[in-house]
Amino acid sequence: MKKFFLICLGFVLVAFTAHKFTLRATPSVIMNKAMQKMQERGVPIHKFVLGERTTPQTQTVVRPSPDLAYSICMYDFTKSKQPLEIKAAYWRDYGSISFFDARTNNFSTVRVGVDGDERPASVLLMAQGIEAPANRPNNEQQIISPTARGLVLIRRLAPSAETYARVQMVSKQDKCQPLTE
Amino acid sequence: MMKIIKLVSILGLGLGSGVISALWMSGLIGGKALDSFADINAGGWRSDWSIGSPAADPYLRARVARHGLLALSKKEAVYFTRNVDDEGEPLRQDCQYELSGGGQDAMWWSITLYDGDSRLPMNTDNALSIDATKVGGAETWRAMIAPVKPQDAPYWLSSNHAGQFDLMIRLYRPSKAVLDDPETNINPPRIQRLGCQQGSGA
Repeated sequence: MKKFFLICLGFVLVAFTAHKFTLRATPSVIMNKAMQKMQERGVPIHKFVLGERTTPQTQTVVRPSPDLAYSICMYDFTKSKQPLEIKAAYWRDYGSISFFDARTNNFSTVRVGVDGDERPASVLLMAQGIEAPANRPNNEQQIISPTARGLVLIRRLAPSAETYARVQMVSKQDKCQPLTE
Repeated sequence: MMKIIKLVSILGLGLGSGVISALWMSGLIGGKALDSFADINAGGWRSDWSIGSPAADPYLRARVARHGLLALSKKEAVYFTRNVDDEGEPLRQDCQYELSGGGQDAMWWSITLYDGDSRLPMNTDNALSIDATKVGGAETWRAMIAPVKPQDAPYWLSSNHAGQFDLMIRLYRPSKAVLDDPETNINPPRIQRLGCQQGSGA
């Protein structure tokens, strides 16, 4: 009887641990795979790349919006913890910069062109434990990434080929690069 | 030796049960539709209101990672899906539907058609969505959903190569009223089935 009880206990403990571990690991595994695929397609680290206009043939993630233009910057603080300067050029229609950690959490979103402010939306993205340098611009938001790796996504409303062409021009001014001293 | 084999088998069984139960309860296996976990129903458009909330439980986090990777926080965007018509029948490529609605209490909205794998259907019709910029300031609008463009359709969403599909409505920068009480403050578009190809059922 004692032996049977121990077997049942062992089964339950292993099942419970595996259940918890799978739940915890799933978002990280999915994000890691997505970032790997992006790298394979030539998306570099610490640089915004404007994705092709979203069509069935160019979609890279599930449920993309064909009405939005997406610029992606992958970041990695494992090698250098130098803060990243993120800038998204003004866009008159809907625009945002969203930040996703390595577990897929959207840990921050900054709006582009709020109240008609035509300055670029500016963010200083920092690794945990890093202090913000002094004398930063007053319109810059400072955000700490919960994980060492992740990605930054600029969304701009571009429901037509014409507006997407405009995004192609504007997005050349976007910035995602380590802060220079 | 037998004892070791038995022990390893039981532990293996426990491991498998733990992994499979986690994936099943998250909706990653078992064929559950994305909206089967929804807790908000606005005129048939369903949403899991925990999506985009920091309090999202680990099951939801896993599900969103799979079906809504890079989804925004709720304050920035809310998402509703619908996979049945007004009579409760699944949306299918071989039927034709009229989608009709009005404006939404948000900065911008769109409705996009996705296939059963949460992908844009693999066609080249350039008719994947309808959005606030297309309908302009119209108080009401109507669009056709069909695998080929119907004549005299003001707007068209192509279901070509979609199989059994769903529609997702996005509201970007929704109003506080929408966030506080979505079931009352969403303006839910209607989906009326107009007909199906002969021999394809209802």
